[in-house]
Amino acid sequence: MDKLPDPVVYAVPGFILLLIIEMLIALRRDRSRYEARDTLTSLMLGTISQVAGAAVGAAVIGMAVWVYQFHLFDIGLDFRSWWWAWILCFFLDDLAYYVFHRSAHRVRWFWASHVIHHSSQHYNLSTALRQTWTGFFSLTFLFRLPLFLIGFPPAMVFFCAGLNLIYQFWIHTEAIGRMPKWFEAVMNTPSHHRVHHGVNPRYLDANYAGVFIIWDRMFGSFVAERDDEPVRYGIVKQLGSFNILWAAFHEWVGIAKDVWHAPWRHKLSYMWREPGWSHDGSRATSATIKERWAAGRPVEEAAE
Amino acid sequence: MNQAALIQLGISLIAVLFVAWLVKRIGLGADPRIADADHAIRLAEEAEAGFKGIEVARDRAGFAAIVRNAEGRMMLVRAHGNHFAARPVDAATVGRLDKEFLTLTSPERTFGAVTLQLGKEAGMWASRMRDLNCG
Repeated sequence: MDKLPDPVVYAVPGFILLLIIEMLIALRRDRSRYEARDTLTSLMLGTISQVAGAAVGAAVIGMAVWVYQFHLFDIGLDFRSWWWAWILCFFLDDLAYYVFHRSAHRVRWFWASHVIHHSSQHYNLSTALRQTWTGFFSLTFLFRLPLFLIGFPPAMVFFCAGLNLIYQFWIHTEAIGRMPKWFEAVMNTPSHHRVHHGVNPRYLDANYAGVFIIWDRMFGSFVAERDDEPVRYGIVKQLGSFNILWAAFHEWVGIAKDVWHAPWRHKLSYMWREPGWSHDGSRATSATIKERWAAGRPVEEAAE
Repeated sequence: MNQAALIQLGISLIAVLFVAWLVKRIGLGADPRIADADHAIRLAEEAEAGFKGIEVARDRAGFAAIVRNAEGRMMLVRAHGNHFAARPVDAATVGRLDKEFLTLTSPERTFGAVTLQLGKEAGMWASRMRDLNCG
């Protein structure tokens, strides 16, 4: 496989610089935007995520190369000849990210891996680095496989995925209010992504975009941030702990317990149904929470 | 893992510890307290959509509170970092009364135990917890 540099490695010094600038802004505007233990948890989760990613990197690349041998079109890597393919690849990779991300919130198996990113009650640049350890185990790499099948070289796809990840760093902030209207219309922004991290019933399950917010607008998952309803961040059942192992594995533990105790015919449903689903209806999914919030009725047990 | 990767990991860990130290060193963070009963009710209602609190036992220092709804269900709200976290108080929650102090231990180990200084009300709320176990 042709190799290209990993753009994320080159972006890391920029990440740290922006993090420190954001901390200084918080010092002037609102000190509660940062908390030392929360920041340490986020950054440790991010660091170990890199180790976990490196450990399975060869397997992911191997699978990409294997699928690529069945590609439909011959697409080269050289940017001068194939610039349009690079742009198309970036665009389609972002669509694949949207599909992955939406699934990551609607299928508990994928959510168990993704929840780590949402487990902070803060929303700052350190939250962006709070990344999964179990992405490979939860099979999230499947969502990019169609790109290799089309014919985009694995090196091109992984490079575009790296750029996508870098873009998503800067939107994890409260330091920026709204961007210009034209930008908010097309691109994912801090405002749109704050909504995505919200646990207010109004904001649940919205704005799954990576780079382009147009996917949410097209597929009906867009919700605008409201000035009269500040976003509360985290997960529906807040962790209440800074334990990094618990942050990384709590949903997997929950799945294991539920599958163990569930009647046989419901065991699989605890893995593939939406977070908060239960066979006896004793818990609340995000849809239930929205309904009951709108109706003002009590929720018996909050969704995980 | 090769040597370059190990060095990269070491540098990352140093950077992580430096940033976390810096957050504390420059004085970022907050000391969240539950200001009054209305605040406790709002936090419980935010934690569980549809929950309507009607009665509150607030820790004297404002670190935690128990909120009860009209059906007798209770929620424990406590400070967590700069924010708050809540859990339902049910039969699996262990309550221990010590004069004016009531300690609630969640079955969820990582959520831990919370001690509330409730004054003379402590006994009444402990009794309500016993009712949960009997009911």
